[in-house]
Amino acid sequence: MAEKVRKIQPLPFLALLLAWLIPGAGHAYIGRVRRGIIIFITIGATFWAGIAMGGVMTVDSVKERWWFIAEMFTGVHGLVSWQRTNWVYEKVMDDDEISSAVVDGDPRTNVLIDKKLQQEGIALVSPMETIARAYAGVAGLLNLMCIFDAVLLSLMGVSGEPELSEEKEDRRKQK
Amino acid sequence: MLGWTIFYNPMSLPFNSLLWLLLPLCGAVAIIYKTCRVGKISRLWPQIISLLVYMVVGLAALCVVLWVVLELAP
Repeated sequence: MAEKVRKIQPLPFLALLLAWLIPGAGHAYIGRVRRGIIIFITIGATFWAGIAMGGVMTVDSVKERWWFIAEMFTGVHGLVSWQRTNWVYEKVMDDDEISSAVVDGDPRTNVLIDKKLQQEGIALVSPMETIARAYAGVAGLLNLMCIFDAVLLSLMGVSGEPELSEEKEDRRKQK
Repeated sequence: MLGWTIFYNPMSLPFNSLLWLLLPLCGAVAIIYKTCRVGKISRLWPQIISLLVYMVVGLAALCVVLWVVLELAP
């Protein structure tokens, strides 16, 4: 006796939100759990490999806006890294010379910030800058592809793994 | 500088080794692309390896072409 399984229609907006916030969660939500786990591990490993290579300043919303946008597509990974960079900037602003330069609108502000970051040993310079940001940014863009995939599948009402041709044949015979 | 901390301080890798870092990135692209595209999940890994080989061979061929162009350029 064929067992009837009631499939729930996935919500596209929820798929979008989950796929962005936790890479792979969008696929898990539409019933493709194994794919979701693979995406979660791969996106996370690629992003954090970039951060390991480039350090805390890899995600920089002030100096590298285009890379920053790409990095933010990694969801929680990007948000955590952004918060860490903000803490560094807050720490840098505690320096009297830099804070007074910011208040006065001194054109040397960026130079002073760079100097301070170099003193702290966290300034990100070429060629490691390019490699680290490429890893973190590509991780974000790959997750963007996964977000599109999860949303499109949920819009089409797909739930679970795709049915294979043999399974379709069996189902047709049962009918 | 007070010492090196992972995820905080940048790494300092020798310049010659940087090109090899392209391979894991290609691997990540192949894994994610095929995870989204493949129909039967059991065929995933052979297809990922196949795509990775295509990408690496393609990039190597592009390098050779660009090198030849640079060598022949007046």
